[in-house]
Amino acid sequence: MSLPVSQMWAVASYVIKQRLAGRKRYPLVLMLEPLFRCNLACAGCGKIQYPAQILRKHLTVEQCLAAVDECGTPVVSIPGGEPLMYPDIGRLVKELVARHKYVYLCTNAILLKEKLEAGIFTPSKYFSFSVHLDGLREEHDEAVCRDGIYVQAVDGIKEALRRGFRVTTNSTLFDGASPLRMREFFDEMMSIGVEGMMISPGYSYSKAPDQEHFLRTQRAHDLFSTMLSNPKRGWRFNQSPLFLQFLMGKRDFECTPWGNPTFNVFGWQRPCYLLQEGYAATFRELLETTRWENYGRRSGNEKCRDCMVHCGYEPSAVHHTFATWRGFRDTVAATVTGRY
Amino acid sequence: MSEGQTLEGWMPEIGPHLSLEEVIDTAFDYRGNITVMKVDGSQAEGYLFNRNADAAVPFVQMFDVNGAGPHTIPYREIRTIRFTGRDTAAGNSYAAWLRAKEAARSGSTRPAGA
Repeated sequence: MSLPVSQMWAVASYVIKQRLAGRKRYPLVLMLEPLFRCNLACAGCGKIQYPAQILRKHLTVEQCLAAVDECGTPVVSIPGGEPLMYPDIGRLVKELVARHKYVYLCTNAILLKEKLEAGIFTPSKYFSFSVHLDGLREEHDEAVCRDGIYVQAVDGIKEALRRGFRVTTNSTLFDGASPLRMREFFDEMMSIGVEGMMISPGYSYSKAPDQEHFLRTQRAHDLFSTMLSNPKRGWRFNQSPLFLQFLMGKRDFECTPWGNPTFNVFGWQRPCYLLQEGYAATFRELLETTRWENYGRRSGNEKCRDCMVHCGYEPSAVHHTFATWRGFRDTVAATVTGRY
Repeated sequence: MSEGQTLEGWMPEIGPHLSLEEVIDTAFDYRGNITVMKVDGSQAEGYLFNRNADAAVPFVQMFDVNGAGPHTIPYREIRTIRFTGRDTAAGNSYAAWLRAKEAARSGSTRPAGA
């Protein structure tokens, strides 16, 4: 695991406080979507298919900060849409860093060089670009349905690293992904110098155009097992090793849909980042009025049956780390040895 | 809904075989503008992004075509909903992208979204 010690400590102390307070349900990472607008139209994404007046809307910085304060998570992820298209992205990040929130700005990096040259960001241990790359050039350009994006993203990564920013990658894997090519991708990202990588299977959004290529559970286990068994010493993942073991089929967790709550122009999304079954006006309303028993694989909900996505299961893995000595020991062991 | 199918243009009438709740749920899933036909004869056009049938007074919420809102409308004020706007989720299938890309490779057209 490649997280800075200060970030690990912030997350650990937060989780321990929640447990000592006896909270059964608590959030870990806020998924803050200031806008839905994007400069790509990826086949696997169901986030951007809205009428024009919705795509033109965005949250104000004040709305974003109110959501961050209300939710209280130590980590804030800013997906979208494409957050670099958000007109106040520089001020938003600055305000979050000032609050000592660990910020991941999830970007396709098309605009990254331009924004870096404009000087709207400052390097900080609290701030990381999380660049969307679904594999090497051929695989990534196909996933985002546009040629040339991989090269643009890698150029952006190099420029951000040159300027002293933290940079991670996030990769969504679909059916047909090649374990060998992904291993080459991990090598490539490490050679470029990214801090760490995040990987997750895709989820079949009901509104995503590509419904045929999402990973089913067993195929996902097979793919991640092949990809991550015998990992190279130099690979660094910016996520819980227990979650990686879950992806490989070595562990079983139940979903924690409240772990990564989502706030966007519609409000607090029920029940999770992936399913859209309604919106609550406040985070408290979301927690208290969502019928959580209807979600997760054990619920029998068809929509949750094959889901293994990080936003539901990584919080479960983190919770497990601090719920038992064994979970803690296993996390430390995997972190130290780099074996999953 | 399979490729090529869309609810765009649907004008359902509430009756013994189709409840208002079903139409509202369908409108909630629809990725285009709709028009709420109210019992008082007025109309409201926009994007319906939320509905809550479990609230003490069940309601829908929408942003109008200019993006203003959210406007809240109780179920009891709704006669029916018409699917008047373009379905933004229709016609963008992965298969269509691959076909367009193949065509682009052969030198004819540029892929949609590119």
